Amino acid sequence: METTSTLLSWIIFSPLLFGIIILLMPSSLEKYSRTVALVQTIFNSLLAVIMYMNFDGLSANYQMVHFIPWLPDWGINYVIGIDGISLPLVMLTAFVGPVAILGTWPAEGVTLKKEKFFVFLLTCLQTGMYGTFLAADLFLFYFFWEVVLIPMFFLIGIWGGKERIYATVKFFLYTMVGSLLMLVAIFFLLKTSVGPNGIPTALMTDLALLRFDFNDTTLWSALTSPQTLLFLAFSLAFVIKVPMVPFHTWLPDAHVQAPTIGSVFLAAVLLKLGTYGLMRIAIPFFPQAAYYFSTMFIIFGVIGIIYGAFCALAQTDFKKLVAYSSVSHMGYIMVGLFSFQKIAIAGSLYQMINHGISAGGLFLVVGFLYERLHTRNLEEFGGLAKVVPVMAIAFMIMTLSSVALPGSNGFVGEFPILLGAFQVQPIYVLLAGTGVILGAVYALKAYQLVMLGPKTRKDLDHLHDLNVREVIAMCILTLFVFGIGFFPRSFFGKSDATLNTYSNSLIDKVGLYESR
Amino acid sequence: MSLVNVFPLQQLKFYELVSLLPLFILSFGGLFSLLVGTHKEKGHELGFLTSFFTLVLALVFGCNNLFTTDVTLLSGTLVLSPFTKSVSLMVMCFALVAVVLTYGQDKKENLLPEIYGLILFSTAGMIMMMSTTHLLFMFIALEIMSLAIYVMVSMRRSSRFSAEAGLKYFILGGLASAFFLYGSSLVFGATGSFELVTIENYLMANNNPTFIYFIGLGLIVVAMLFKVGAVPFHGWLPDVYQGASTNVTGFMGAAVKFTAFVAFALIAKHMIFVPNVAGLSWFKSFIWLVSAASMIYGNFVAISQHELKRMLAFSTIAHTGYLLLGLYTMNEGTTASQSIILYLFFYALSNLGAFAVIALFEEKNQKDLTIEQIAGMGMKHPVLGGFLTIFLLSMAGIPLTSGFIGKYGLFSSAVNGGEIPLVVIAVLTSVVSVYYYLRVIVYLYMKEATADGAVYQGLKGAAFAAFFSAAATLQFGLFPKAIIQFVKLLAR
Repeated sequence: METTSTLLSWIIFSPLLFGIIILLMPSSLEKYSRTVALVQTIFNSLLAVIMYMNFDGLSANYQMVHFIPWLPDWGINYVIGIDGISLPLVMLTAFVGPVAILGTWPAEGVTLKKEKFFVFLLTCLQTGMYGTFLAADLFLFYFFWEVVLIPMFFLIGIWGGKERIYATVKFFLYTMVGSLLMLVAIFFLLKTSVGPNGIPTALMTDLALLRFDFNDTTLWSALTSPQTLLFLAFSLAFVIKVPMVPFHTWLPDAHVQAPTIGSVFLAAVLLKLGTYGLMRIAIPFFPQAAYYFSTMFIIFGVIGIIYGAFCALAQTDFKKLVAYSSVSHMGYIMVGLFSFQKIAIAGSLYQMINHGISAGGLFLVVGFLYERLHTRNLEEFGGLAKVVPVMAIAFMIMTLSSVALPGSNGFVGEFPILLGAFQVQPIYVLLAGTGVILGAVYALKAYQLVMLGPKTRKDLDHLHDLNVREVIAMCILTLFVFGIGFFPRSFFGKSDATLNTYSNSLIDKVGLYESR
Repeated sequence: MSLVNVFPLQQLKFYELVSLLPLFILSFGGLFSLLVGTHKEKGHELGFLTSFFTLVLALVFGCNNLFTTDVTLLSGTLVLSPFTKSVSLMVMCFALVAVVLTYGQDKKENLLPEIYGLILFSTAGMIMMMSTTHLLFMFIALEIMSLAIYVMVSMRRSSRFSAEAGLKYFILGGLASAFFLYGSSLVFGATGSFELVTIENYLMANNNPTFIYFIGLGLIVVAMLFKVGAVPFHGWLPDVYQGASTNVTGFMGAAVKFTAFVAFALIAKHMIFVPNVAGLSWFKSFIWLVSAASMIYGNFVAISQHELKRMLAFSTIAHTGYLLLGLYTMNEGTTASQSIILYLFFYALSNLGAFAVIALFEEKNQKDLTIEQIAGMGMKHPVLGGFLTIFLLSMAGIPLTSGFIGKYGLFSSAVNGGEIPLVVIAVLTSVVSVYYYLRVIVYLYMKEATADGAVYQGLKGAAFAAFFSAAATLQFGLFPKAIIQFVKLLAR
């Protein structure tokens, strides 16, 4: 691949540059570190918009490739590029950045301990996330995938709640188990890709062309085929991150303990690393194995949808409720990806973005309430809509987006998934459909308990409504909620060509020509 | 008839002398440093300066004629090839860091100025040990190295743990040396040579060596496994690591391990990984088992340690297991030996750095720094906390650090060699290792400092050593291209 643009490298590393500047600032300027971070996220969004403008929506190949030889002797290079699958995810990361910073700005007079370090970690986190989405080299992908862990580990561990150490170590170890097995699979892939010159290649486009033996005469032979083992090693790493039931237990802990901004990034972007990995690597690299096990993954996805919804319904902790709703909503993406249906795969990509927006927004609302009342217990709120009308409106919009009301962005994601998957797995999709209803039940219940009904506490009367910064943050999200809801093509149009090529080649590879 | 014909004297040519220079410089520098160390008031400073500049000089000369022609001396016992010269350079690097680390620590722990000379002597022994393919000569080099180390371990005179550690190490190490010597003599009896290459040729010719050969080889392997600290020959390691002064521990963990492993790899290459010799497959299986046992034992026992040096001692046993995995796959391809060198080099640097940070927080005569004592230190001393984090992440094999590159190379060459089960064990046990490395980081940043917490000792030397190691760890973690190509060049 030839270098055509260095813009993407700027997107990846400008947060880190700003982070180093923040770290080097004298302590007298420490109070401005958040402002610098805000400037950084806005700068990054501008870069992302430039990238979006220059992106050619008619091409399905990697664009704006930046190539630097890194470890040429091991066949590993610094190659980054963008295509229709990573484009929306990068845009999501770029816009979640300023929203999260604005929405979690500490109140007047409140200074966080080690503010500089906190903001530095936020910038590192962004670098890691951009890098993972933009890497076109498998080693580089793994590199950034792991790098993301470190800032998140510190963010939860230092600024989290009471059980933060347990939560952060659990988060780290869960991800580590999956990713180290993925590492072994990467070794094996690279070993197979050794060319005539004795040097392997780690370029994803080359690795996608490798074919591994797959024998599905019996279940045992299918399980022991090289392709299946590789597929399972990769997908284990990814489904832990998604998280798919039964590997989801780290998520509620991590979310509840994390500081608000950590939760926002975790829900909005970090979870998408898992589904992005499935979509980018696990499924297209090992299509037959993925197809063979697709029903199993769909079942796990459906279990996740329903189980997550019921768990959310049972929570009294507001943040935990939103965390379990994430488990439920990510289940749709699993169903969509493994249905091997064009429309459902597209829906999965849309759902990744939409869940990012709605879950990010809901976590922000939780953060607003917690900052004002220092509680997340749903039973201690009530009747807030009269006191804080603006917050109530913002919360309502996010709730509607989360329950996939037509006209909001959630509908754009979930509807195609259910429509597409219904054609192959009608029963499971019917079950998944009940998740939509359950989703409405718990989300509206949360809204009712917080905003409506009688007041439970006297001090609720003096609650401040959203300030300008918070309103701006919620306005940006609202814009996306309705923008995507009414005009999805203006937002996802540039991904069409890639999604089309992607699904066609996938369907080709597993040999599903009939009627699809 | 001239005298030369009757009694041929060895003649040292100029280019041979040039190749030997680092060794000469080290030996004479060591003597000189002993001499100046006797100065009453300025002994420590003079000893430090002498040994520092000796090492710098040796490194400069070593770098300068790295790729000259191979030199074989003493009828083949000392081979100075690009490979042996560059592993010597690496060991001298570790020695340099160790000397810097010792400065300041020597006064704190009441170490005698002789320690600088001893570091140089043991470095000379290490270089000889890696530059020979002759078993007897290797034994002598091993002893030169070990005797200096024994003294260094027990030099912390005001601490009884140090005396205990020194005695333990001396007795067990002496036993291992005896094993090595006896094994060599048996091998000589079976094959008629001490030369590794001759032994290999003998095995190629006779696929069925006598049983004596296997006994001899077994003894040698046991001695080497003792020196590298593999299960079940690891018993000395935690106590010695704890008892020795921290700078000595760092030097041991880096340089001694490096040397012993390179020597072991040489022995294994010529004496075990010989194709078509039936009985040797037992030794291969034995290495497999030892490797798996070291990884599992080291990592799981390290979890329950509350003392930092002891934890690092157990983790070093686990790292020995990873390295033995690389050694096991060495007969499958050439990349494994490169990966072993890379891994050893990266590991040694982070190890030295970690012990430097420990030295900075350890009080005089303290047996070991407990994990509770460093609570909150990352917030109090952000730079040092950052360094220790880098070293621990590197040992855990997490990207951004050189440890990841090393681990990637080692495991990928093992997968290329077809040894997937052992790699899976290695990977799963390294998840365990992530847990205990993380626990230290958790204490560093996420717990509040306690009243009896560690106090920063303000040692300039150790701080500089930590800085150097951290910079190297990050540099090789982010831009490892140059060193990979360098190592590739050697193994050719």
